[in-house]
Amino acid sequence: MTAAITAALIGVLLAGAILYLVRRDHLHGSFAIWWLTVAAAILVLGIFPPVIDWLGSITGIYYPPILPITIGIGMILIRLLKMDVDRSRSERQIRRLTQKLAILEQELRDAKDTHAMPAAVEPITPTAPIQRTAGGR
Amino acid sequence: MIPARNEGATVGEIVRGVQSSVDCSVLVVDDASDDPTADTAREAGAIVLKLSNRLGAWGATQAGMRYAQRHGYRTVLTLDADGQHHPMQLPGLLEFHRQSGTDVTIGTCSERLSNAKRLAAGYFRSITGIAVQDFTSGLRVYGRRAIRALASREASLLDYQDLGVLMLLRKKGLILKETPTQMSPRRSGGSRVFSSWRMVARYMMHTTVLCFAQVGTRARIGRGPRRTEPAA
Repeated sequence: MTAAITAALIGVLLAGAILYLVRRDHLHGSFAIWWLTVAAAILVLGIFPPVIDWLGSITGIYYPPILPITIGIGMILIRLLKMDVDRSRSERQIRRLTQKLAILEQELRDAKDTHAMPAAVEPITPTAPIQRTAGGR
Repeated sequence: MIPARNEGATVGEIVRGVQSSVDCSVLVVDDASDDPTADTAREAGAIVLKLSNRLGAWGATQAGMRYAQRHGYRTVLTLDADGQHHPMQLPGLLEFHRQSGTDVTIGTCSERLSNAKRLAAGYFRSITGIAVQDFTSGLRVYGRRAIRALASREASLLDYQDLGVLMLLRKKGLILKETPTQMSPRRSGGSRVFSSWRMVARYMMHTTVLCFAQVGTRARIGRGPRRTEPAA
């Protein structure tokens, strides 16, 4: 029975920590759902250990206690893979943003130069509004 | 277009050389250099894109491609900033590109190829079927369709400018050609890829995985309705 209490405690602590992190805005919503599911699974398996034996008999696994470990490792691998997919996507975005930033900086410099030039020759008076050159680069 | 990283010593001379031999705008993409590469290039009269963090040779080149696409350029010629490509060679290369009507022209120098590079080229030819001698050459001319393909999001996750780029271009049904040119040994710095055995191993692994990941894509594109070559 103490094993059930330990597992339930772990489940409750995990769920509490996740909800705390979500409330403090440290964890993005969709990640919270994943982790809450994990906490719920630990809670259920901890409080009702016969569930493991039942799952073992369904799946034909001879030694049921290995089942949660196997599923756990599988989940971790899937999670890691998804993290790398997400990282590749952010890497692509960072690269494109860096390139766009450089292009826009150059265009800004260009625009400043073309607008600054006439002002140097002929100071702008309050009566003459700044003329924007049409079709600037 | 000249991608450059810490090439302040040579970039000014290259920019002036290009301007005197070809009538075009010169764009230098500064890959977050620590030295005044950007200022030197700007003083020499080039348009300069200064990347705020380091993206590598291909990331810098792609920034230039996106600039070219945004500003409606029809042809982009790339060369290295380290002085191994002679600006005098450029008019001939452009002429070849126009006359042959290809999408991409690669300037190669067969005397300059080391045995290791030849071996690598043979190896990649056998697994990809791309028959390019000097696939790492940075001296290339890209046409409008190639610019569009290379400015796309699909090309953003490539790490090296060579085989991955060539495979992407082939996948889009574009035509690649090589023409021999004269090159001199680099004056400053060594090859970024072929600098140490660890880098070479990393590069070969990376590119091999990329090659195998691409297996089959060409066949699918070829049979699809979007064929770019007119049917005979």
